[in-house]
Amino acid sequence: MPSTAHRTVRITSRMQENIAGYLFVLPSFILLLIFTILPIIATLGLSMTDYQLLSPLRFTGLDNWQRLAADTRAWTTFRNSLFITIGAVFFNNTLGFLLAVGVNRALPRGFKTALRTIYFFPYITTAASLAMVWGFMLTKDRGMINWMLGQIGIAPIGWLSDPSVVIWSVVIFDVWKSCGYLMVLYLAGLQGIPDSLYEAAMIDGADGWRQMRYITLPLITPTAFFCLIISSIGAFQIFDNVFVLTGGGPGDASRTIVMYIYEMAFNRFEYGYAATVSVTLMIMLIIFTRIQFWVADRWVNYE
Amino acid sequence: MATTTADLKPSASQQAAKRSIGKRSAQGALELLIWILLLIVAVGMLMPILWMFATSLRPPAQSFSLPPSFFPTQWRWENYWNVITSERIGYPRLFWNSIYLAVTVTVLQLATCSLAAFAFARLRFPGRDLLFFTLLASMMIPGVVTMVPLFMIVSRLNLTDNHLSIILPAATSAFGIFLLRQFFLTLPSELSDAAKIDGAGYFTLYWRIMLPLVGPGLSTLGVFAFLGNWNSFLFPLLFLTSRDKMTLPLALVSLAGYMGSGSQSEILAAIFMSILPLALIFVFAQRFILQGIALSGIKG
Repeated sequence: MPSTAHRTVRITSRMQENIAGYLFVLPSFILLLIFTILPIIATLGLSMTDYQLLSPLRFTGLDNWQRLAADTRAWTTFRNSLFITIGAVFFNNTLGFLLAVGVNRALPRGFKTALRTIYFFPYITTAASLAMVWGFMLTKDRGMINWMLGQIGIAPIGWLSDPSVVIWSVVIFDVWKSCGYLMVLYLAGLQGIPDSLYEAAMIDGADGWRQMRYITLPLITPTAFFCLIISSIGAFQIFDNVFVLTGGGPGDASRTIVMYIYEMAFNRFEYGYAATVSVTLMIMLIIFTRIQFWVADRWVNYE
Repeated sequence: MATTTADLKPSASQQAAKRSIGKRSAQGALELLIWILLLIVAVGMLMPILWMFATSLRPPAQSFSLPPSFFPTQWRWENYWNVITSERIGYPRLFWNSIYLAVTVTVLQLATCSLAAFAFARLRFPGRDLLFFTLLASMMIPGVVTMVPLFMIVSRLNLTDNHLSIILPAATSAFGIFLLRQFFLTLPSELSDAAKIDGAGYFTLYWRIMLPLVGPGLSTLGVFAFLGNWNSFLFPLLFLTSRDKMTLPLALVSLAGYMGSGSQSEILAAIFMSILPLALIFVFAQRFILQGIALSGIKG
């Protein structure tokens, strides 16, 4: 008899645990369902309709996809996003890594902290507001950047008005803003490399360059791969920076995918087509993120 | 034999010493070069901030005059005062909106995420792993991709131009649940056993015993939630239309055109004040920010 009583107690306590579990995740899941999961499914659904502001929802199958294939403006924005991503990823990672190596050296402690703070601070500032500041700085005639370049004899550059230059302004702003973030990631990677390896190398007489070549670089590769993916995902979604800094212009010279989605949906009210463009972006991001999780798994195993 | 070794030894070590001195001075030159490069980059990174501050203190008429200044040459605090008191800008109102929304979202995220994270880490219930997998999957797709239906849902709920349109979508975060779950997982299971013996319910276990022990996790998530919301631009742009509901970044961007290029100093003063709270947080919570990034690397 005591065993049955015991089992009843255990069953009810198990049920209590189940109920508690569901209640605890409920608030989050209701919110995620309405504001994340439902919109994801709706994006997929809308991408196959010609839904517009004032017209009824009509299923059009793959028509939007045909339209997208022939939409040269969409291809321009894809190309711009790709260009910004490659540029931002390359410079953010190169600079981030070099700064991490520099800051990780045996510098005086206060100096080290000060440098790290200066490099990292732009990352936490407001992208939209700082893009305004950069917009002032990059003005062609009275901007402070062109003034400084003028001091060393460089003719004024149309940072925001020259279609072949404007995309570089976006990259430069993003590198200013984000390279400190990558520095922090690389710094964590560098600090994960055991000191004993460097000590052993020093005893064997390996100089700084060889230590870099045969210890630091091989052991930082997992971190670097992870950083490349993370920064690509971030750069592919760029919106605030460009929206405020260049407005996508001149023409479409710096318009990104997300800006194109925004324009289609909220200036032209072509919700269905905007959703189709969103789905292509979604697919690209999922591919990147899959690679990232795969790398993260290996990265964790590595240590 | 013995003499040769004796002869050889000092000379070898002398040579080694010489080499290492040569090496050391080369090393010293390299070290100096690295210092200089690090300083140059630091100056470059600081320049926009310095320029913004120096220019925000210039008389508006001179805000575009060259050469630019990186350290204040004039101290026209009136620019700041004008921004704060201007009825047209309504700065106190905007500042309050930003603070109020960021704090509300942060508090809500801490509550919803810690509850869910506790359940995922410490409780067993059917379907738990499936739910967690759904959560991870939803983390892959950022808000920018789903802005079209999100806008339609918000309109359908009649929340446009209502602060709830900013609060509700941000009131929980898959990233936050994921982050806090890691912290709850590290707590020893003896804690729950002891609590059970004492007859404590699950809420007591969560609230009284476990939550106080995941303080660093809560701080990290709290800082990220606040920063993310203070800096957010796209959702306010989509959902908030009237000036008195707007947050700082959105209102400042829409004001810049409105105020005209003549008062660049005042725009810069307005922007400078809007990033001061970030600097403050950065000074006091840098540890949590860096920890959070190094810990997960997911945010970005």
